Amino acid sequence: MLKLVLRLGLLLGAVGLLGALGLATGLRRGYVDAFYARFAAPPAGSLVLGTSRAAQAIKPSVLAARLGSRYEGPWLNYSFTLAESPYGPGYLSSIKRKLMPGTRRGLFVLAVDPWSLSLLNKLPYRGATNPLRLGEKTVIFPEEKSMVSQLASVSQNPNLDYLAHYLHKPFYQLLLNTDTARVIERLHPDGWLEIALPPPTANPALLQRRTAEKLATYRGLATSSHLAGQRLASLHSTIIFLQTHGQVVLVRLPTGPDMAAVETSYRPDFDQTMQKLANSCGIRYLNYLRLPYPTNDGNHLTRGAAAQLSQRLADDLARLPAQP
Amino acid sequence: MLFNSLHFLVFFPVFVGLYFGLPARWRAPLLLAGSYYFYLSWKPVYGLLLAATTLLDYFSGVRMSRLAAPAQRRPWLYLSLASNLGTLFIFKYFNFFTDTAVALAAALHLPLAAPTLALALPVGVSFYTFQSVAYIVDVYQGKLEAEQNLGRFALFVAFWPQLVAGPIERGGQMLPQLRRPHAFDYGRVANGLRLMAWGMFKKVVIADRLALLANPVFDHPHRFTGLPLLLAVAAFTIQIYADFSGYTDLARGTARVLGYKLVLNFRQPYLATSVGDFWRRWHMSLSGWFRDYVYIPLGGSRAGRVRTQLNVLIVFFLSGLWHGASWTFVLWGALHGGYLVAESLTAPARAALARRLGLAARPRLQRVVGTALTLGLVAYAWIFFRANSLPDAFYIATHLFSGWERPLAAQLPAALAGLGRHFVAELLVAAGAVALLAAVDYRAERGSMAAWLAGWPTAGRWAGYAGLLLAMLYLGIFGSSQFIYFQF
Repeated sequence: MLKLVLRLGLLLGAVGLLGALGLATGLRRGYVDAFYARFAAPPAGSLVLGTSRAAQAIKPSVLAARLGSRYEGPWLNYSFTLAESPYGPGYLSSIKRKLMPGTRRGLFVLAVDPWSLSLLNKLPYRGATNPLRLGEKTVIFPEEKSMVSQLASVSQNPNLDYLAHYLHKPFYQLLLNTDTARVIERLHPDGWLEIALPPPTANPALLQRRTAEKLATYRGLATSSHLAGQRLASLHSTIIFLQTHGQVVLVRLPTGPDMAAVETSYRPDFDQTMQKLANSCGIRYLNYLRLPYPTNDGNHLTRGAAAQLSQRLADDLARLPAQP
Repeated sequence: MLFNSLHFLVFFPVFVGLYFGLPARWRAPLLLAGSYYFYLSWKPVYGLLLAATTLLDYFSGVRMSRLAAPAQRRPWLYLSLASNLGTLFIFKYFNFFTDTAVALAAALHLPLAAPTLALALPVGVSFYTFQSVAYIVDVYQGKLEAEQNLGRFALFVAFWPQLVAGPIERGGQMLPQLRRPHAFDYGRVANGLRLMAWGMFKKVVIADRLALLANPVFDHPHRFTGLPLLLAVAAFTIQIYADFSGYTDLARGTARVLGYKLVLNFRQPYLATSVGDFWRRWHMSLSGWFRDYVYIPLGGSRAGRVRTQLNVLIVFFLSGLWHGASWTFVLWGALHGGYLVAESLTAPARAALARRLGLAARPRLQRVVGTALTLGLVAYAWIFFRANSLPDAFYIATHLFSGWERPLAAQLPAALAGLGRHFVAELLVAAGAVALLAAVDYRAERGSMAAWLAGWPTAGRWAGYAGLLLAMLYLGIFGSSQFIYFQF
């Protein structure tokens, strides 16, 4: 048995060494994906939260440059996608894991829109002991098994837990992704997701096609979803939790005019609902929905617009009275 | 617990270390405890189901062993069959049959409402119930002594390397092994580890990569015609083989490390020269089960020509249904049944054609032609196995060879989307890995792979192992994707 253990040890040691070398090179020089850097970043004192709209629209580096003296860092955009990080128990648990312990003067920008607070009309239920009850049954949040809900280690570098479970591409591709000039999608260390597409004016037909596809998706979502009490309750829990660690603001981000119209027709009372929630929690609700910023697809702001919006948000936040 | 998960990567060495570290008499109890731990890690509540059916089959077997007359044994046989097949029916088929009845009634404008059971399919239930059914029938027929030791019988049912997706073992093959002590043996353990490594390579490098090529097309077939559909069908044809045989290698390798020999489940199936030959090489433990417990009891080939063909059709209808409670699987099974009937009926005509074309005088060429035709037929049938619905299956089946005039530029980006930005590199890796699989199968067809490997110089062999492991590490697609047959 000892002979086998020794031989296996040698073999696995050599393979492990070569593997670790390649992995280290890939992680240092290459690009992993649109999520990894957020889970490899250290715990954060100030967070931008939301879905892909926030991930692409808010640059924490801009906020930090303006507001760094008022709030605790490190600053991180911890927004993912509509499928991964709508407001719910899973996202809240992940936020709790990501927040730097002992934070007292953080800034928490919670981007809200009707989609991240909705649930599909046809959802499975379970008769279990979940605190969010719906009559006798309990709703199963679709993101319950998602990466954001499931990943236990959210601040490790390298994050082997993430790489083993959620990296859906082979390691060798990390070594190919070193040419940042050719990468369209680039996740910055502060969590901002830059989409390096040419400006929409360069190809209006392409923009029109992307916008049409996006609108079709969201129109379908509007007919099959509803603004959910369970999600609003989760947002409320998130605010209450974060208020003990600093200042919280709700922000409705700009989007394309057609998308804004779809949202308004889906939930005409959304702003009032948010304002009411903000008032009840004693926080501010900033509504930028109708600001005319260019988008890449009728939904997500361009990288140039993200810089402008982040600056505008930083200015507005600087005018808010500091938290006592 | 998936074989391709971190959980297993920790579980396996710890378990093997404990297993060989303990005195021999404790190994079987440890194996049983490990089997239940392995199973409970999926969903603890289904462990109760496994334990309950095990107890019932055990007592049925023991009772039958004490009764001489078949008439006295029969109630115990029926009780055990009802328990096993009833479990399978309730968990796997109840909703399928009620949904079908409701749809049929709706088509006939008849009011019919039926309840739906919100039950998740217990993993491995199709495999362990079939294994138990084989045991109980063998005991009833007097071909097998009933196992008197409850722990040993429980281990026979729950033996973790093959619990969730086979191979479906027979009592006569497995129980004697469970009675023997199993000491550490370098050659056997090394052999098991090699088999495991090769199985894992097939899963993470080949199957999960080809899934990226097949899935976007099978999930939205109506967006494609011609070449992308053909590519997806070809990709799935190799994917399912690499996935299932990869799992089987992992199961057999794991068992071998622990000292047990599981039956062979695949014997280079895509080198088969006829569909009949294919079924003697593909999922052999299931084919053998259907042969011994359905086909032969139905009369097999002894009840006349028409009845023989009917028996074949019944067996393949049931085989399709065993794979999944859906009409796509039923049709897949029926198609294979049809192939076999056609093969049997046209045998004289095909032999005459081969003589006329001069193929009969060139057996090697005839084998190549036979293999190519068989592979084509099998691949075509996989469409029904993989498609998400019957309309999707019919669309793919009827558009494979049409729409080739549509510009590929409009279709290929969507078809290759699953491979990501480096799709050229991915296609090259896939082609290389599939070529390696084909070479290994071709070599295995000509003799024992283990003996062939043993002839290599030591340095070359170890470099090969290191290369295989590095290939898995760098080229493997991880992320805990399930083995296809786990859903059955």
